[in-house]
Amino acid sequence: MSLELLPDLILTMLLLIMAWGALYAPQRADAMTLFIGFGVVVALTWARLDAPDLALAEAAIGAGLTGVLLMHAARALPAELHQSNRTATYWGALAFAVVASLMFLTHLLYDDSLLSAGLLDAESDMTPRLRTLADAAVADSGVEHPVTAVLLNFRAWDTLLELLVLLFALNGLRQLFPDKRSGDNHATSQWPESLALMSAWARVLAPLLVVTGGYLLWRGSSEPGGAFQAGSLLAAAAVILRLTGLLPALRWSSVLLRLSVVAGALFFLAVAAATAIWGDGWLTYPDAYSGLLIIAIEVFATLSIAITLSLLVIGEREDLRT
Amino acid sequence: MSAIELYLTLGVAVFLLSLHGLMTLHDPIRRLIAVNLMGAGTFLVMVSLAKRSAVPDPVLHALVVTGLVVAISATAFALRLIIAASKHDEENSEDSEQP
Amino acid sequence: MNFALISLAVPLFAGLLLLLCGHALKTRTTGFLAIASTVVSLAAAWFALQTVANAGASIMLDLGGWETGLAIRLRLSSLSALLLLFTALMHLLIGLYAGFSRQGIARDFWHLSCFLHGSLAALWLSADLFNLYITLELLGLTAVAMVALSGKKAYRPAANYLILSLAASLFYLLGVALLYGRYGELDVLLLAPRTEADVITRLALLLMTTGLMLKAALWPLHLWLPAAHASAPTAVSALLSGLVVKGPLFILWVLWSEVAPPALAQQIGPVLGIAGMIALTAGGLSAMRSPYIKTLVAYSTVAQLGYALMALGLLLTWQLPQMHIALWLFVIAHGLAKASLFLAAGEMQSTLGTRRVDGLRGATQTVPVAMFAFAVAGGSLIGLPPSGGFLAKWVLLEPLLSEPGNWPWAIGVLLGTLVSAAYIFRVVALAFDRARINPPDTRTGRAGHWLALLPALMVWGMALSGEWLIQLLAGGGV
Repeated sequence: MSLELLPDLILTMLLLIMAWGALYAPQRADAMTLFIGFGVVVALTWARLDAPDLALAEAAIGAGLTGVLLMHAARALPAELHQSNRTATYWGALAFAVVASLMFLTHLLYDDSLLSAGLLDAESDMTPRLRTLADAAVADSGVEHPVTAVLLNFRAWDTLLELLVLLFALNGLRQLFPDKRSGDNHATSQWPESLALMSAWARVLAPLLVVTGGYLLWRGSSEPGGAFQAGSLLAAAAVILRLTGLLPALRWSSVLLRLSVVAGALFFLAVAAATAIWGDGWLTYPDAYSGLLIIAIEVFATLSIAITLSLLVIGEREDLRT
Repeated sequence: MSAIELYLTLGVAVFLLSLHGLMTLHDPIRRLIAVNLMGAGTFLVMVSLAKRSAVPDPVLHALVVTGLVVAISATAFALRLIIAASKHDEENSEDSEQP
Repeated sequence: MNFALISLAVPLFAGLLLLLCGHALKTRTTGFLAIASTVVSLAAAWFALQTVANAGASIMLDLGGWETGLAIRLRLSSLSALLLLFTALMHLLIGLYAGFSRQGIARDFWHLSCFLHGSLAALWLSADLFNLYITLELLGLTAVAMVALSGKKAYRPAANYLILSLAASLFYLLGVALLYGRYGELDVLLLAPRTEADVITRLALLLMTTGLMLKAALWPLHLWLPAAHASAPTAVSALLSGLVVKGPLFILWVLWSEVAPPALAQQIGPVLGIAGMIALTAGGLSAMRSPYIKTLVAYSTVAQLGYALMALGLLLTWQLPQMHIALWLFVIAHGLAKASLFLAAGEMQSTLGTRRVDGLRGATQTVPVAMFAFAVAGGSLIGLPPSGGFLAKWVLLEPLLSEPGNWPWAIGVLLGTLVSAAYIFRVVALAFDRARINPPDTRTGRAGHWLALLPALMVWGMALSGEWLIQLLAGGGV
């Protein structure tokens, strides 16, 4: 074992302990805090594993938005009913996970059907075929960054469905605020007044996030970044502004809001239908315009992702039903 | 042993640990955290598999980006649903105390 | 292929547009538009079925025109065309009920049901393991949103359903990741010839199977289903039980009959078969004991999925094409019958003002049409000739009875039949008890009762087109 492995070992131990704590910490608030911390360390791990796209997305989503969500939950929820996390259970859990994964590790070391791939020889035949194809085709995809090419060209159908996932989740959330005003308001919670004190700070931070988001979107075609990272940063900015009272409630009755929520999926689907009717087939971009189309899709997708995510995190009755 | 094996194993360990949590814990918030950690374990496996070659596999990275967005949207919805459900339960128990 | 894409895209477009229009449209118009889009999708699915039947083989579409293996592929087989048709038909029947029944339904039902329709269509057409994961998530999220439609009391079951559904998807995803790590492919048909029976493949398949069985509520992972399905609004329960649980079942079928190496499939076959047999009896017994009407119907879904699981298990064990036919006939017959049962149960529940099975005393007199629908649909679940359920059961039993060695399986089927007869007759017998009648709500408006009967009549009509269905499925569906 070499010294190079030391940072990885530290990260691994840290992640394992934080995961364990996030599950079994005696106080729920501690568990939540550890979970948010876990998100931050995971973002570091992605950077360590040469996945900058993911590190960006995880930092905005895992640490930022999840943090706000859990803060909301911590305030809104009654105290935990079951305080019965017996010591035996959580030591048992750790022992179980460690033993089982050590078995997995031994298996990995002795039978390298999963690992032989790139370890011995970076460009050996075992490199996944799909990946080899993807590398070769990036040049024709209309964008330079391979991850963006996969997301918006080769596997564009996944991405289209994923925009629908966001939309469906938001639709689910809207069901918690039924049309009929029944007087009581279930999912509403009051945010603490102290947040308003943050507004000076938010005035600086939010524009910064917006600018960074725009930059990520713009450079997504050639370098790490893109619609999802940009969208989640913009969502984080919207959440901060909303929490500090600088952004008024969004109103579902406004066509603009509804349009921006469905814009990404609708435009993407329209492109798919248009290419099927007038072009060479479902989601087959015409060669000359593929770069342009991808950017247009990304812009609409970013808008939808930003609005939808921020509504998912802080949307209340006034945003979603009135 | 190399870094990839280490992270692969970590991914599996986190998945198993949180699976155990999902099966034994009662508090819905903790169960949701457990599900999210299962997701993190899965993504760790995927990203370490991507790192097997000198230039990481863009396909797996794209899949994880997709997975992350799916995870956050579902988590947000689930969390709000849990809060709404426990408020409802709370009101019901108050109602039954004061008939 | 274009017809299939129309069948997929029209409901999605309709859903997005309805969401966009929101309150600008009257609730009636919204419902009308949703039903109209379902009709278009139904017609397109019919033409897609014709196309694929004429072509004689499944039609593949490489999305984006990239070479095979790089992009996601869509596959239109005769089975997926049939399932497209079935999905659109179910949405049409249930949409009509939701639009015309007395209770009415929240406006949001319409775009959610359009989304559900689109997600299912995307699932049937996908031939890519990761794309299937996303369709699973779409399905799960819409289903939970629809359960939440029925208001506060459904939030707790909806939350539990969502958490389990997410965990199940992650099991599936980890399996996909391991398969990709091992073979470097995500496409079902490219993966199929390459899989070997090694440890990683086994582990991946095991993980995926666990996740899918949890999602499809297959025994022993069914415990979440009764609470979730019974607490949803009536029309939603019908969609959930009739359609949504079939999605993961389809993926399970793809996984084992195509992706898994045959040696492994033969090993898992008997296990699935036995789980199916237990599901039949255990689910049936729970249905028999259930005090609530809707819970009874929900448990009957657990039991009936046992037939499908058993057919799948035997298909894998013996590699008999007949079992493939039986499996999908069960799925279709159960979908139609279950829609009718849930709709009838919901109608009786609201007319008689009770959720309990005991409250159905004298239902033959007070709600004759709904009770008739319940009994007719129940007849198909039991497998009385000449219903669709009978057709499916006959195809399943034929090879079982011809070999003495297979008789234990046949006994399992017969036991299941007896139990389902028991819980159906329990309700029917109570309904004939005209001595102590539970008085109905006198408000008129019984269109819903007739609309609940419609799917039940269709499942009996299935027998008329039995030959056609069997021939279609005998193509292998691949």
